[in-house]
Amino acid sequence: MAYNYDKYLRLEKMPTLWCWGCGDGVILKATIRAIEKMGWKQDDVCVISGIGCSGRFSSYVDFNTIHTTHGRTVAYATGVKLANPDKHVICVAGDGDALAIGGNHTIHACRRNIDINFIIINNFIYGLTNSQTSPTTPQGFWTVSQKAGNIDPTFNASNLAIASGASFVGRETMLDPKKLERLLVKGFEHKGFSFLEVLSNCHINLGRKNKMASAMDNLNWIDSITVSKAKYDKMSEEERLNLLPTGVLHHDTEAREYCDMYQEIKDVHQGKRAKITQDDFAKKI
Amino acid sequence: MATREIISTGNELSAIAAVDAGCEFFGGYPLTPSSEVMHVISDLLPAVGGAAIQMEDEIAGICCVIGASMTGKRALTATSGPGVSLKAENLGLAQMAEVPLVLVNVMRGGPSTGLPTRVSQGDVLQAKNPSHGDYKSITLCAGTLAECYTEVVRAFNLADRFMQPVIVLTDETLGHMHGKAMLPTLEEVKAGIKLRKQFDGAPEDYFPYECEADEPAVLNSMFKGYRYHFTGLHHDKNGFPTEEIETCRKLIQRLEDKVELHRDELELNEEFMLDDLTGADDEVLIIAYGSVSLAAKEAIRDLRKQGIKAGLFRPITLWPSPAERIKHFTDKIKNVLCVELNIAQYTAEVERVSGRIGSIEGLYKVNGRAIAPHEIVEKVKEVF
Amino acid sequence: MSLIKAPENTPVWVDTARCKACDVCVDVCPAGVLSMQAEPTSTLGAMISIVALEDCIGCNDCELSCPDFAIYVADKKTDNIKFAKLTDESKARAAAIVANNYRLPENYGK
Repeated sequence: MAYNYDKYLRLEKMPTLWCWGCGDGVILKATIRAIEKMGWKQDDVCVISGIGCSGRFSSYVDFNTIHTTHGRTVAYATGVKLANPDKHVICVAGDGDALAIGGNHTIHACRRNIDINFIIINNFIYGLTNSQTSPTTPQGFWTVSQKAGNIDPTFNASNLAIASGASFVGRETMLDPKKLERLLVKGFEHKGFSFLEVLSNCHINLGRKNKMASAMDNLNWIDSITVSKAKYDKMSEEERLNLLPTGVLHHDTEAREYCDMYQEIKDVHQGKRAKITQDDFAKKI
Repeated sequence: MATREIISTGNELSAIAAVDAGCEFFGGYPLTPSSEVMHVISDLLPAVGGAAIQMEDEIAGICCVIGASMTGKRALTATSGPGVSLKAENLGLAQMAEVPLVLVNVMRGGPSTGLPTRVSQGDVLQAKNPSHGDYKSITLCAGTLAECYTEVVRAFNLADRFMQPVIVLTDETLGHMHGKAMLPTLEEVKAGIKLRKQFDGAPEDYFPYECEADEPAVLNSMFKGYRYHFTGLHHDKNGFPTEEIETCRKLIQRLEDKVELHRDELELNEEFMLDDLTGADDEVLIIAYGSVSLAAKEAIRDLRKQGIKAGLFRPITLWPSPAERIKHFTDKIKNVLCVELNIAQYTAEVERVSGRIGSIEGLYKVNGRAIAPHEIVEKVKEVF
Repeated sequence: MSLIKAPENTPVWVDTARCKACDVCVDVCPAGVLSMQAEPTSTLGAMISIVALEDCIGCNDCELSCPDFAIYVADKKTDNIKFAKLTDESKARAAAIVANNYRLPENYGK
């Protein structure tokens, strides 16, 4: 289809510094396509990335961009969004950034349900800093910080997001970029916090020492550990053990978005409505 | 002209000052003894269309403030020593990316959990370099109830002028002191607001970090048609990361020089009863700041009643220090006593700029209690 | 999304200046249109090449899967291209390429 991404790229920064075959580039393209589908003006979009290979995401795209400290993308984003509720905010962070050092911010951003789109590029390792264990690195894998084999149990990031109260949670891989684009569009359309976990390949820092040294080997491994939610739901506990479901995993259309609720606070203080009480909320505890 | 009378606490005055100075965003976390700033501003800001949010921790508190400031809003956070420790890394990003903000530190006993409900001035050195790397801190210190207001107003103007965080130190004594403050009128405050510079040419001609070697970056508010990149990495004129040798050197040097070469715009002192000091052997110079200066002034009045000519030099901008002015007085007066609620934190700077290593006396108190005027009087008599 | 106009009669084309020779497009192409070839001057010693242009079915998988904006597929409507159908021959060639480390075996089909 020869899409022309040039309008959305900082062309002087190309080529990307990502390794050959790195999924980050595919996710970058899918994100741009999704933004284009939303019809958002470039000036109205803020893309915030963290530290890691995915952290370079924000420097390649021609929007208002921020490259934050490690783990803090959604905290910065909360300030950007709450101060400018009509603008569009996309955060991009890796598994270490979002779930290790940034875990607390991730949990609370899910809970708060502020209209931010959080793309977590989960490549199961700390890539940029060369192969340290991340909260999603499978047990038994070789990592540079656990060369005798990783003993750390893992997070299921999407489950964490659902438990933390995120109103839209989805997971895809970059094996099917069109499906990924559709998930991103759904997430962007959703008014509330969208947690978008994208499984990606790091064959250089995860794959090489774990028997999947090429992009395709790593991608095939991702394929082998994922299954559509429809199939997953029909599986037994045992069948599910080593699989992650993909698709829209949770979508609460009733949850109230934080900036909307904050507008009510402004109305209270400006005398436009009475104080907020428990009766304003369906959930009482 | 300070003609507006408000009866309140230091913390509340700081919150009111921020809103009066055009602050539109607050992000923070409860931390004794600063929490009242958040409590008060969380009602004041939404009333004028701004936003205040209690985040999940201190770090999130500073991050959301930086994010809001990047979109052009004047933004405030308030905390105490442990919170500054937590915020340090991101204060560094704000310094590096040249994002203005005001941080009010209502000092309490430290280190660590220390004495949450008691006073100290133990964060003075921390304010000079809260984060790693090279940059110049701007730190103001309120010494009266009224200054809990006026220094916050000044901080916002300085933050926008120098495009970086400005720390306002108050302390538990002032934060919780309830009394009368004579403030400038709201009209005067509004008339004095100087917002950050903006570039109004064509976007293709805009280079946010291209500026004179002693000037801050000109950072257009987000969402206004000028798209660029903020990062904590060393960066070029567009804000993009770079490792180029000369670019990196010039960037760090400029972060230093934009403050260092314009210290005159930052300096503010109070010289209390220093006019009639001639340099005679029995005269006494007291150097104190913050709430301690209230006791120092009382002590000076007492000393003078007892025939001892004493005066107070009170820096209000602590960092960068008023080096020349300090040296002017320490050259002139033999007997110098520094009084602080810490162990010689600012004395070290006084010694450095005066050259008088080992000949500055000190009264230091670190037990969480204020220094009473008579303690200063007794110390003066003891050592001079 | 605006489109790049395809060169005349060209269903798929590559930008070798951008290609990092990651093999992904070669793997995903169902019709064996693409192959890596040796290229001593490039970082990985390889470069993308089009070995069966006329067999391209226009599925777009290569373009979507390329992380580096290095391969483009023509648009059915606006480029007035007639894409091929997927044949057993194409599929066999694709399998042979993948099995041979993403390189079309020498003398294949001859």
